[in-house]
Amino acid sequence: MNKEVNRLLPRPLQVAVLVLLVAFVGGPVLYMVLASINSDLGVAAGEFFPRTFEPANYVRIWSTADLGKGLANSLLVAGVTALACGLASVSTAYVLVRYKFLGRLTILRGLLALQSIPGTLLLLPVFVLYASLANILEITIIGTRWALFITYLTFALPFATWVMVTYLRGLPRELDEAARVDGASSWRILTRIVVPLSWPGLVVACIFAFLLGWNDVLFASVLTNPDTRTAAVALQVFGSQQEGGAIPVYGQLMAAALICAIPVVVLYLAFQRFLVSGLTAGGVK
Amino acid sequence: MTIAKVAAPTATTKPPAIRRQRRQRPLWMLAPGGVLILVVIVVPLLVALWISLLDLDQYTIREWVHAPFLGVKNYVEAVTDSDLLHSVWLSVFYAVLVTVVTTPIGIAAALATQQAFRGRGLVRSVFLIPYVLPAFVVGTIWRTILLPDGFANQTLGHVGIHPGLWLNGPKSFWALVLVQIWASWPLIYLLALAGLQSVDPDVHEAAALDGADWWSKLWHIIAPYLRGPVGLAMIIAFLHNVNNFTLPFVLFGVPAPHDVEVLPVLTYVESFQNFRFGLSAAMAVCSLVLVAIPIIAYLRAVRLDTGDKHE
Repeated sequence: MNKEVNRLLPRPLQVAVLVLLVAFVGGPVLYMVLASINSDLGVAAGEFFPRTFEPANYVRIWSTADLGKGLANSLLVAGVTALACGLASVSTAYVLVRYKFLGRLTILRGLLALQSIPGTLLLLPVFVLYASLANILEITIIGTRWALFITYLTFALPFATWVMVTYLRGLPRELDEAARVDGASSWRILTRIVVPLSWPGLVVACIFAFLLGWNDVLFASVLTNPDTRTAAVALQVFGSQQEGGAIPVYGQLMAAALICAIPVVVLYLAFQRFLVSGLTAGGVK
Repeated sequence: MTIAKVAAPTATTKPPAIRRQRRQRPLWMLAPGGVLILVVIVVPLLVALWISLLDLDQYTIREWVHAPFLGVKNYVEAVTDSDLLHSVWLSVFYAVLVTVVTTPIGIAAALATQQAFRGRGLVRSVFLIPYVLPAFVVGTIWRTILLPDGFANQTLGHVGIHPGLWLNGPKSFWALVLVQIWASWPLIYLLALAGLQSVDPDVHEAAALDGADWWSKLWHIIAPYLRGPVGLAMIIAFLHNVNNFTLPFVLFGVPAPHDVEVLPVLTYVESFQNFRFGLSAAMAVCSLVLVAIPIIAYLRAVRLDTGDKHE
């Protein structure tokens, strides 16, 4: 009876909503899974359930597309971005939460506003700046993984810092004040007290940065060359090659898409609890 | 008298304490993030404004600092002699449409999973799949589903509907709307769920005692809790939709069909296909104007200093 009190929708309506939405979401996902083990012709003919099974798609894809290198590049760039972003966001957020100084509110406001700047606005000037810097310093930037790393780290910082700001606000001030009275330095307080206490927030910040790097197509399509291509660009190039080709390998394309989704899904499943609460706290994807 | 006695010492000891605290403020910790944001976001923003005033193309890009100065001519060309207005209209229409359709879906999903039932954890995980999948994977799946002889058309063909091309021509716009709805509704769902979790449990008891039917309970009692988070979610969803480059890029490729040439795609094509960098920058600056209003609304909706009442 107590459960019924909390009911928000009449049971038939609730069941209808659940069934419809699970089908709406599950349909295309199931399609991807089934198509990835279907023959290329079967996918092209619009089959949902494969007539012939081709699990070999998962073997062939590594030689038909440049997926292996792409995945390695993505893992490297997104992984390093995540770690660096975690470190930078927690120290920035710590200062913003614990200390009062001129321009603090402006920075907080800026963190929110910067998340919404269209990437297409920054792509060209970032490209031009990297090219000019490379000329002046006589190094290569564009085409290297460094270019992606610096770019993703910066774009992940505003949101990651905001997540950490909302998290650190919930931590009792007394802990680090006590440490300060004992004479601990700010850096020591940060690494020994703040980081161990705030790791659920840190996980969200790091994963967000990882996803930003993993999911980006816009910057990766311009800032990489075939050697440093990320999985996102490799899949996009492979997908667009199927158009007008003699025998489009759609089955393998679906297998490749699934492989690109796996690291993200695994991360999400492993940290689901933190992610959902952390993302809603930050209010943004 | 006692008050003055107590107050006097604090008045004399406070300033040195503040000064000491001030000396210890580790503001240098802001530097790494600050420098990065300055170099990779703020400076490029200014460079974009500058480039939009130059005649910059593939010939002048090497010496971009010395490119001929055009003033507002790029903006004039963008407005009068390019697809900009068409793209702005497409982008806004598409973003508003997707936001408006996903809002009731997200709220309904949150309402339906609020109450505990067997398998709720599984359903909640399923609901978040589109949100978790990278946009480039979502685009690749749907691109295959919407092939001319693909699964969508075969299925519709069985019931006698032959919609024709989805990835080209006028229907491509609706394909983009459909896929973005599929991919983005969980954002609204998540924030609506957060709103529902703030509902005081006693409210349910009170509504049951009053004998309120489900609709008036929803409308009069639950809705006020949802207004804030869902409003915030709608602003964020609009911004995501307007700025979304990956999905149209992966679904349709570049140059995109005219019917889905949304603003991010147009800006990209003008830069990296037509090499009209100055014109492209002018278009990009226009897109900044487009998102400025929702950004301001967003800044007002989010409380900057939650839980810090001593400001």
